[in-house]
Amino acid sequence: MLSKDLNRNIETLKTIFKDCDDIVYRFIEIGDTNKVQACLVYTDGLINKDVISEFVIYALFIANEGGDFNLSKFKSNLLDTISKEAMTIAEVKEEENMDKIVDNILIGETMFLVDKIDKALTLSTRGWPTRIVGEPETETVVRGPRDGFTETLKFNTTFIRRRIRDPRLKIKNIQIGRRSKTDVAIMYIEDIVNDDLLKEVKKRLDKIDIDGILDSSMLEHLIEDNYLSPFPQIENTERPDTAAAAIYEGRVVIAVDNTPFVLMVPATLGTLLQTAEDYYSRWTIASMIRLLRILCAFLSTLAPALYIAITSFHPGLIPTRLTYYLAASRINVPFPAVVEAFLMEITIEIIREAGTRISGPIGTTIGLVGGLVIGQAAVEAGIVSPLMIIIVAITAISAFVLPSYELASGLRFWRFIFMVLAAILGLYGIMLGAIILSSHLVRLNSFGVPFTSPYSGLGIEEGDLKDTLVKAPIQKLQLRPEFTFPKNRRRMKKR
Amino acid sequence: MDKKNKISGLQVKALVITTVIGISILSLPSTIATILDNSGWVAIILGGLVTVPFIIMIDKTIELYPGKTSPQISREVLGPVISNLFLIIFLCYLILFLAYMHRSAAEVIKAYLLETTPTEVIIITMLLAISYMARGQIQDLARMALIIYPIIIGFVVFLILVNLPSMDYTNIYPLFNINFKAIPKGIWTIFFSFAGYELLYFFLPYVEDKEGALKYSLKAMLIVTLVYLIVFFVTLSQFGIHQLKREIWPGIAVTRVVDLPGLFLENLDGIVIAIWIMVIFGTIGPILYASGIILAELFKTKTHKLFILPLLPIVYIISLLPDNLFETYEKLGSILNYFALVSIVIMPTIVFIVAYMKKRREKA
Repeated sequence: MLSKDLNRNIETLKTIFKDCDDIVYRFIEIGDTNKVQACLVYTDGLINKDVISEFVIYALFIANEGGDFNLSKFKSNLLDTISKEAMTIAEVKEEENMDKIVDNILIGETMFLVDKIDKALTLSTRGWPTRIVGEPETETVVRGPRDGFTETLKFNTTFIRRRIRDPRLKIKNIQIGRRSKTDVAIMYIEDIVNDDLLKEVKKRLDKIDIDGILDSSMLEHLIEDNYLSPFPQIENTERPDTAAAAIYEGRVVIAVDNTPFVLMVPATLGTLLQTAEDYYSRWTIASMIRLLRILCAFLSTLAPALYIAITSFHPGLIPTRLTYYLAASRINVPFPAVVEAFLMEITIEIIREAGTRISGPIGTTIGLVGGLVIGQAAVEAGIVSPLMIIIVAITAISAFVLPSYELASGLRFWRFIFMVLAAILGLYGIMLGAIILSSHLVRLNSFGVPFTSPYSGLGIEEGDLKDTLVKAPIQKLQLRPEFTFPKNRRRMKKR
Repeated sequence: MDKKNKISGLQVKALVITTVIGISILSLPSTIATILDNSGWVAIILGGLVTVPFIIMIDKTIELYPGKTSPQISREVLGPVISNLFLIIFLCYLILFLAYMHRSAAEVIKAYLLETTPTEVIIITMLLAISYMARGQIQDLARMALIIYPIIIGFVVFLILVNLPSMDYTNIYPLFNINFKAIPKGIWTIFFSFAGYELLYFFLPYVEDKEGALKYSLKAMLIVTLVYLIVFFVTLSQFGIHQLKREIWPGIAVTRVVDLPGLFLENLDGIVIAIWIMVIFGTIGPILYASGIILAELFKTKTHKLFILPLLPIVYIISLLPDNLFETYEKLGSILNYFALVSIVIMPTIVFIVAYMKKRREKA
């Protein structure tokens, strides 16, 4: 609670903000005959100084000079008068709770405290350095919108609102993190989204009790169904169009302040293999690329394992001449196929990790040197066979074809398990791995939706395969996908 | 948000197909050709038809007691003593079935993929992998089945495509030279290839759409029969009746004879058997799950997961009892046939009749 004495209030604030040198206290005097002390409190850097100088302080002084702002007349409700007649700022709110005042100062509002009044005014003066809206770095498209989410939550919700101008698009704000007090916005279209899904999302978000959230991925790990799994059960995107499309599908989008990646729930294997580009290119090529992506998922998981299995267990499976060639190319290689494969896979993982951490010219150098090392030198030194290089390259590139980095990472992890299994039991070992992997995948749920949808049943009969396995022309996609259990199925008028 | 542990009609269809089609499809053409020569297709069709009344009986029994699992129904219908006896017989049948599947799958894998690996290692690894799958709930098995299902269809399409250029259609004839005396024996032999539908007892209580379930199960049986027919005709026309009788696994051998120009892979049989392992898992998984469920009912525990691991050594020992493949098929196979007769023909009939009478008396 605030007291009536301005100095006492300021003292309280100063004790709370002890050693916080970024808090600024600006004392002014208002009123023409009876001067009254007032104070503006704000955090340096989180506010827009122009706004305070021009629309708060200057406006108050102008009101004094004009004489029509006579304090003695309005003793009864001074604060109300100030906010109604003197302030020329857009958003003004009254506040009397000390904790709220502290919170408001920390999010970038300016608090206006006046002597002899036990209330304060919250002036919306938020403004801080932001990154310019740029093209998303991860999900680029040849054709399509080029704006990407930024670190500022307000901008991000605006991007969505600009794409869905419907009052039924709801943007609910909550705060997560005891100390960080991170703003989190839950976005959905009221008459499409399934109520149970929404309830579940809110329940899981409410359950979070942590001191700080730094990125949406932390939130993702806290609310997903199975946190031990190597696979992501929540999709993320940097593209406003993808997020808006998810909302139109009846999914819930969760945006977190300070990160450009928003979360979309539920996610399935089907949605993790879709990209924005699919919807902007013609359906034939989009369908072809979707099938290619599924092939790449298999390749990036299985290619080195198949190489190991075939060279060391089943050379008879491939054509005889290829077997001869393979044997000839491996004649100088001193290692068994499994050691060779592990050597190369670990090398490429090192190069990839180094390249990811360092960007710019040094990153390019690493790529170049690494490419030379694994490409030419290793073959010439006789440590690996040329075919192994091809396999490693195909594997690495296939992993980049997958739109979801997390899914690709999960498969990358399994690649090594498959390699071990193939080294022990050949093709049979690979199939054992496949059965364990698929048993794990079918058990995963994303907010109660089977992760393997639509391939495992949910939505097949409703036609979800038309927009996952392939991409049918937009005229044929008249219904929303079934996996979100939308309240409103039809999105296009029947023709 | 989803309906907990429910399966859809489509998933039931896939479950039945993947459970029924397993290892026996590989040997089926030669087995049936030895008995009925060219007219083996009659036995296949009749074998499929014979399952229909039992499927209907299973479906009706479960419809009479909505919201109950099959062991509960049997307890209610037959009383605890007889019900437990029935459950134990059924369990023995399932364990024998598992052992038979593991042993014959291990023999096929040994023959085509891992010549030098001991059978024991193959069986143990298979058991361990499958135990992870069987520890899941019915919905997980159903999702799995739908992922395996396209492999079966793909296999059949692939079989037709690669064999088309080299098939000799005259091998099929004479089509209607039917030896009627041998037909009962043919059905008796082939009936076991249709075993697996009895697991509907464990699927149907969880189906959302009760009315459609029967339709989907029958449709599944139709697809199984068609797959068997196609495999029979393809192998027959490729090999001719005399060679077909000599093959052990004509279903795989048929992919060995094809040699397409420009094909990347030379010996398709290895690849086909590798992929077929997935389908074998699709059969074993639900059976192991069902055994766990029965044990959970017998010992009155909440979850079946506890019993999956203890079952493994039993299956392992039984599967290693036969000395070789021939003994597996002859001895284990014939014991299994008798157990199958009791547990998938006689017991469902008794349960259905008693349940039906009881319900009628209740109404009257």
